Amino acid sequence: MGESGGSIIRTAGLGKTYRSGALEVQALRGVDFAAAPGEFVVILGPSGSGKSTFLNLLGGLDTASAGKAWFREQELTGLSERGLTLYRRNHVGFVFQFYNLVPSLTAVENVALVTEIARAPMRPDEALDLVGLSARRDHFPAQLSGGEQQRVAIARAIAKRPSLLFCDEPTGALDSATGVRVLEALTEVNRATGATTLVITHNAAIREIAGRTLRFADGQIVEETLNPRRKAPSEVSW
Amino acid sequence: MVIAPLSRKVLRDLWRLRAQVLAIALVLAAGVATAILGSGAQDSLTQTRDRYYAQNRFADVFADLTRAPLALLPEAEALDGVLSAEARIVKTARPELPGAAPATLMMVSLPGTGGLNLLHLRQGRLPDPQSDREVVLSEEFAAAHRLSPGAPLSLVMNGRRMEVTVTGTAISPEFIYALGPGEMMPDPARFGIAWMPRAPLAAAWDLDGAFSNLVLRLAPGASAERVIEALDPLLARYGGTGAIARRDQTSHAFLDAELTQLGAMARVLPPIFLAVAAMLVHITMSRLVALEREQIGLLKAIGYSRRAIAWHYLEFVLLIAVLGIALGFAAGAWLGAGMARLYAEFFSFPYLVFSRSPAIYGLAALVALAAATGGALQAALKVSALPPAVAMAPPAPPAYRRSLGALSDRLALPQSLRMVTRHLLHWPLRTAAAILGLAMAVAILVASLWTFGSLEQLIAVTFHLGERQDVRVAFAAAEPPAALQEIRRLPGVMAAEPWRSIAARLENGPHAKRVAVEGRPAGPQLSRVLSPDLEPMAMPERGLILSEALADALDLRRGDLVTVAFLEGRRNEATLPVSGISVGYVGLGASMELDALNRAAGDGDRISGAALLVDPAAMDEFLAAARAAPGTGTIAVKNLVLARFRATLAENITVMVSVYVGLAAIIAAGVVYNFARIALSEQGRELASLRVLGFTNAEVSAMLFAELGLVTLAAQPLGWLIGHGMAAAMAASFASDLYRVPFLVGRDVYATASLAVCAAAILSALAIAGRIRRLDIVGVLKTRE
Ligand SMILES: Nc1ncnc2c1ncn2[C@@H]1O[C@H](COP(=O)(O)OP(=O)(O)O)[C@@H](O)[C@H]1O
Ligand SMILES: [Mg+2]
Repeated sequence: MGESGGSIIRTAGLGKTYRSGALEVQALRGVDFAAAPGEFVVILGPSGSGKSTFLNLLGGLDTASAGKAWFREQELTGLSERGLTLYRRNHVGFVFQFYNLVPSLTAVENVALVTEIARAPMRPDEALDLVGLSARRDHFPAQLSGGEQQRVAIARAIAKRPSLLFCDEPTGALDSATGVRVLEALTEVNRATGATTLVITHNAAIREIAGRTLRFADGQIVEETLNPRRKAPSEVSW
Repeated sequence: MVIAPLSRKVLRDLWRLRAQVLAIALVLAAGVATAILGSGAQDSLTQTRDRYYAQNRFADVFADLTRAPLALLPEAEALDGVLSAEARIVKTARPELPGAAPATLMMVSLPGTGGLNLLHLRQGRLPDPQSDREVVLSEEFAAAHRLSPGAPLSLVMNGRRMEVTVTGTAISPEFIYALGPGEMMPDPARFGIAWMPRAPLAAAWDLDGAFSNLVLRLAPGASAERVIEALDPLLARYGGTGAIARRDQTSHAFLDAELTQLGAMARVLPPIFLAVAAMLVHITMSRLVALEREQIGLLKAIGYSRRAIAWHYLEFVLLIAVLGIALGFAAGAWLGAGMARLYAEFFSFPYLVFSRSPAIYGLAALVALAAATGGALQAALKVSALPPAVAMAPPAPPAYRRSLGALSDRLALPQSLRMVTRHLLHWPLRTAAAILGLAMAVAILVASLWTFGSLEQLIAVTFHLGERQDVRVAFAAAEPPAALQEIRRLPGVMAAEPWRSIAARLENGPHAKRVAVEGRPAGPQLSRVLSPDLEPMAMPERGLILSEALADALDLRRGDLVTVAFLEGRRNEATLPVSGISVGYVGLGASMELDALNRAAGDGDRISGAALLVDPAAMDEFLAAARAAPGTGTIAVKNLVLARFRATLAENITVMVSVYVGLAAIIAAGVVYNFARIALSEQGRELASLRVLGFTNAEVSAMLFAELGLVTLAAQPLGWLIGHGMAAAMAASFASDLYRVPFLVGRDVYATASLAVCAAAILSALAIAGRIRRLDIVGVLKTRE
């Protein structure tokens, strides 16, 4: 049982090795990490450095091959498939590069999809309001721009009031102006809900709005920067 | 050898989708097998029969008479169109055998050298032409009574007992179906044939220098009708009851009815099966290829031509189609040969001419190939027509409509159910195809299952509602009504009802049929005639009641007049009204009130026999007494007749229908499984996303299963409807003079078909449940749709 020490999520020596036949890829090599409640952490690093693997392990989407991870007092690395599903359902919000909205449901219904199975969710409209999309509530994904779709995905991720919000290259498929709107939505949500937020990005400028920046290389954290003064996204030049 | 990367992709895809590939191949195989097995069996049997008839010189015209001098033979031979003629003695005798069931032997004089209806010896030898104590028995009768060559046999011929020896067993094209007088089904234990040299028969029946039966072989192309027209006046003086053509000869007619039924099975069901299989494979293939959209875009992007891409998918489906066709050929040939052998044994043909019609094989293969490649090509070409960038991008974002939005809001439907309903409604064509496919699976099950219930209905109507007597006694010759009193006095008889039967020719303009007109009391209680709504009918004062089959054959309706030419006794002719139409599934039926019939025939008050209720406890005693009574001709015990009827049908229709049911089940299961797999492929990504959001395995599975369930449910009524139509077409094509099957599709048929398809759906769901559990939830996040 790990000592939580005020952190909400924590890892010790977390490792992941992909094995396919004789081929072995060490995607993650012993990562130690901890985040405090409400923190906004940006993760940078070249492609293939293990960022997604790290986030997927924290989010309970995949199982580690070495080391441990805790959510509060709970050891994630010991959970069953069913335990991981419940962890995701109750505590984690995800935002992905490709939105992953359900095309047959409207914006508000996509959000409701999650609030229906959550313990203490906000109203779907409230969540859409937070990302500034109330006006498009009844549009289907196909009728929304990429940025709008991503904001619906954010609304869907935070509507359950998650303790953790994991975003894997949320602006990767967007132009910079739209990306700014999305990042603004993320910081706004981070402030309003107090969800600990981890964002993977390739855009180095984003570190100015983060409280802390991690740099991944070759499956390890190679640099950690604390940012004393967080800028508002609109102040950042991308 | 270097395998081109695309060919390697074909092999890998086939392996990856092996369960689906096998299911599709099996569906195709079942369709192909059905197409070739039915027609293969029918072709083989028809050709076998034709060769058997030709080699054993089966006659074309048959005439019974009382007694004619042999001097008449040259006159008959001289008739226009007659090739050869043979004068025979044909009489019935009673064998004295251990056991209670009464039996009858038809004594037939042996054909001479160059004669007609030659025997095919199975065991032993033919009787010595000089001997008057030797017989050869029909094979089945001998087997039923364990009489081998050398066995002694006691015969009562024309009232006199004679001890003879069995020299051998034989079969003849004349008695492929050996049907006893007044019987509905052949029963080798109760009726058989004994061939004997002419002399002892002539001595027993006082027919020296005379004959009682004439058979003719006609010149090729001669008209049997014309010959009969000339022959009948010649024989009338000698008690001729009217010659019949081969078409009306009992054995031939039965065999023909059987082969017609087989042919109907071979004509109606297999094309439907093949069409259904083809349609399903078409749908499945096009959906399978549509799933490859992104890869097709990619192949185009890196420079593969449309033709190369189309060929790639063609190769994929060709391999599946070839696998299915090969399986179908093997199974069809094997089942067809097995079935032909089974029927050949049932008909006791001396040999079996195997016939394979390459045309049927070719056609089945062509339809299967076209169905499989058509579906795949269509989808491949459609996708490869798109610019690569468009193809690689997700399919045009589905513009979902909220057609049911307001409704689902009001119903507060959970989002998961909204997804299901919008999915189904958004791809109406795909949903319709899935529903139609499953409906077809239900339909072919209905179309093959209904026959069982229909046969039960036939039995219930014929044997329980209509013929309610326990025993039907026929006198050796018509008796005065007082004979009924003697029958009543026999032990165990609880009720007796007289009946009369007179052979007659019914004519209406160009239509004519030879039938036995039956006389019954005005309000029969035992042997009843039933109206189409299965109510017992009273016998009309003057007119005739015709069975539906007979009325159809003569083109008569209630109230029409029909000419009745009696073929016995005074040979009166009368014009009588058709007073009613009755149901009758077996044979052609014509009934009259007993006295009215006797008046019309003009032979005075006579009865031919009696229908009886017999105390079951006294049955053995009754049979012994009835057999000993001097006037008794034949005794038919209903339970025995019914048992035989069931056994015969069990061997015929049931075998074929069971094969079809099996094949239908394979098609149904294959379809359902493929539909489930494709639904999973189409929605796998969405379902994996839901798993990421924290939906449990069960919740995600439920969504896919709900969709499959809705489609399966919607398919049921449609399947019933289509199946009903197919069954009706089959019932119509079954109808012959000897049988018609009641068209009746019971609820149990629909229920069984639906249960089978639902069971297949549930098993398929279970089979893909594991795949849902293993969905790659991280994988979907890395790729865009
Ligand atoms: N399912 C997998 N099987 C094998 N190797 C994988 C798998 N997923 C990721 N990898 C490998 O793990 C490493 C880290 O990948 P990832 O975490 O996606 O990197 P990033 O998100 O930083 O680009 C890469 O070398 C990648 O090839
Ligand atoms: Mg990544």
